Amino acid sequence: MHKIKNVKNKIINFSSKDLFLSIDYSKKVNLDKLIDLNSNYNFLDKKSNDLLKIKIENEIIPDRFLKIEKVSEKTHNKLKFISLAFSQSFKKDFFKGRISIIQKKENVIDVIFQLAGKWKNNVPKKTSLIFPFLRNLNNHKNFLKPGHVFNGKKTLKKSAWNFHEYPPAILTDKSKNFAIGIEFYDQFPWQANYNLSMHEAISKEGFEKYETEVQLTKNLSDVIVMRLYTSSEGKNKVFNLWKENTRSRYDLRKYFKPKNTWIKKNYITHFTFAYGKESFNYEKIKFNIKKIIKEGKEFGGYDSLIFWHQYPRLGLDNSNQWNLYKYLPEEYKSIKNIVRECHNHGVKFFIPFKPWDVRSNESLDYHAKSLENFISKTNIDGFFLDTMSSLPESFLRIQKKFPSFEFASEGTPREQRQIEQLTSSWDQIGDIRRNYKVEVEANMFRFVFPEHPLNLVSRWSVGSDKDSIIKRAAFNGTGLVIWQDVFGCWLPFSKKQKQLIKKIKNILDKFHAIIFGSNSVPLIETLSNGLICNQFCNNSNQKIFAIYNFTNKNIKGPLFAVEPKTKIKLKQIYGINTSLQIKKRKEILAVFGTVYANEVALIHVKY
Amino acid sequence: MTEVKNKKIYIKSSEFIYRVEHLTLEGTCSTDHGPKNVKIKNLYVDKYPVTNKEYLNFVKKTGYQPRDTQRFLAHKPKNNQSNYPVVCISQNDAMQYAKWVGGRLPTDEEWQYIASGPDYSDWPWGDKFDPSLCNHDHNSLKPVNSNKQGSSWCGCEDMSGNAWEWTSGVYDDGEHRFALLRGGSFYYAHDHWHVGGGARKTNFHWKLQILNEGMNRASTLGFRCVYDA
Repeated sequence: MHKIKNVKNKIINFSSKDLFLSIDYSKKVNLDKLIDLNSNYNFLDKKSNDLLKIKIENEIIPDRFLKIEKVSEKTHNKLKFISLAFSQSFKKDFFKGRISIIQKKENVIDVIFQLAGKWKNNVPKKTSLIFPFLRNLNNHKNFLKPGHVFNGKKTLKKSAWNFHEYPPAILTDKSKNFAIGIEFYDQFPWQANYNLSMHEAISKEGFEKYETEVQLTKNLSDVIVMRLYTSSEGKNKVFNLWKENTRSRYDLRKYFKPKNTWIKKNYITHFTFAYGKESFNYEKIKFNIKKIIKEGKEFGGYDSLIFWHQYPRLGLDNSNQWNLYKYLPEEYKSIKNIVRECHNHGVKFFIPFKPWDVRSNESLDYHAKSLENFISKTNIDGFFLDTMSSLPESFLRIQKKFPSFEFASEGTPREQRQIEQLTSSWDQIGDIRRNYKVEVEANMFRFVFPEHPLNLVSRWSVGSDKDSIIKRAAFNGTGLVIWQDVFGCWLPFSKKQKQLIKKIKNILDKFHAIIFGSNSVPLIETLSNGLICNQFCNNSNQKIFAIYNFTNKNIKGPLFAVEPKTKIKLKQIYGINTSLQIKKRKEILAVFGTVYANEVALIHVKY
Repeated sequence: MTEVKNKKIYIKSSEFIYRVEHLTLEGTCSTDHGPKNVKIKNLYVDKYPVTNKEYLNFVKKTGYQPRDTQRFLAHKPKNNQSNYPVVCISQNDAMQYAKWVGGRLPTDEEWQYIASGPDYSDWPWGDKFDPSLCNHDHNSLKPVNSNKQGSSWCGCEDMSGNAWEWTSGVYDDGEHRFALLRGGSFYYAHDHWHVGGGARKTNFHWKLQILNEGMNRASTLGFRCVYDA
């Protein structure tokens, strides 16, 4: 086995169950080896893999100024570490640093870079850090940026990522059985000297040229913490390790309160724009909720309505958002009757909150009280937070008084507290101003927090983009917002589109436990180019594979691997029918079939 | 044009090029915004918007009570506000009054011609915005004759700011019904998601989506009448 410290040759090693790292500090601090111990595969195929270069203004400090101060290693119970302390004097500025490798959990290793600087005249200079070993890893043929997939030798971004946790970039060995996840955890995006934008940089093009800027202090401070997740079960397992580690910071109790289970089955929500014939009968001067509910049957039935009459109307005079309910036919009674009608049909009812209408003489407490009062008068079920992706603290008390009351926001929550408190949201895509094209791609948030229900919407999309919304919902196992009257533009779904949405709703309901299962993984490896695949899974012996052909040609052949079990039942539950077969392919068992051009298929696998 | 008795101004028939800018926030305003040539017939127009006093007189004399009374005259004018523009009236309430006085509401095109005139001025008083000539970004309505200097080419006052004015059309695009408002008001809501407030140019209309009468009434929305000559 490798010795931890080789003083004579100035090498220090670190080894976990799967991974071996070796640092040569004889002339510079070089990561010599990053080896998968199962296959003895070294991920570093170049000789020069400096762990760190410091750049002062435009000059990189030459290696000859490097002085190794101390090399340490220690193991105590479950925890072990090695570290290398160094210093560099350069043009009368002085730097010291420490690079450590520490492991607490079997499959999780942290590589920590700490630096300090003492400046001539105490005036700091622009300081950037360069990580040549990372550039080399980035150029490795099996390096996958977060949310990317392999397509032949190329990699493609096939995901949407819209919150502050970034999944790891992934390196796999030749067999692709062993995988390392590389994460730069971002605790707070503006925290000085801590992984500044590394998480974003590694997911984008141009990472090989990335330099991170730091503001050095007199004492050592963490500047980069690179977390490695390792698994001999491939990249899916690495994703789950990262997910488990990420979720462990979160208090997700609110998602599992028994009275709030209805929101998890709020698959199809209707945006009920008041000012149109879809919902309002101009002759009878009343809202025609029965008609809406009846029409909803074509989509598989609406699970909820979001009633919308304040915008674009607020601001004509000084009436606030609550005043506008008084002006409806029969005032609050109008809403009460609508809610009763909805409840008679098992449909929940939301009203919106407009944070942008909060006046200087109004507090969020005032709005919370108004909402409480409104709930008491009308029995509404939820509050839709327009333009928001967070839940104001003042509103939290509402759920104490009305335990089944729910909040849903227009934006998916991005930060920890918001994700913990705000237990449902829209997955909104599209921008009328930017010629938006709906892409069928994985929504990564959905796989990190499957208990957080999302309703997909792209309000302005029509035609093929509407088709793509439906495909995207099927691919990600999310609900939808049925929004046909966009503030006075009538953009209906076609009969065929309605049928597909109905189908999705039935699948989400029937296979809820699997589709919203905690072991679901986005963008698993596919066996033919041109395909991407999400795998839905809980702890049962069943899985659902959502597979999408993003090319313009039908793809026939091996689709994805399944576990090597003797009895496997396959059933296609969504998409254009194809005949499916299980065959052995090289060392694995694979599902073969055809995925039609630009189509999504959902395949249920039972072991 | 000639100012005649009873504060009505004569507008001689004319052709003019109608081109209007609109704002609906999100959504669209599916009317023909020009440019197009329109013909304005001979007509008389109220010099001022209809006042509280005038409208209350109509209610008193006719016993007018809308079928849906929600927010009808909800601003409850005080005695000293008799010369303020009447507000909290729907398009239908306005039409009923207009009919009673032998007039009607102006069309969107007529309103623009009365405000901008043959010189196509951007504001009733000229091409340059001058907040001192209208009730703009203020905290309340003002009497209809507060800004004589801000009158339009034909002598009509209070055409920009103070209170929005109904025009006559009800548009139906097959799925929605809406009307067009003119002139803007004194009120300026604070956010860009709100209906854009303040005084508005002569070539601007706001699409108000019609609902029940309670929603169709606003404390910044009044009207003036025209009369076919």
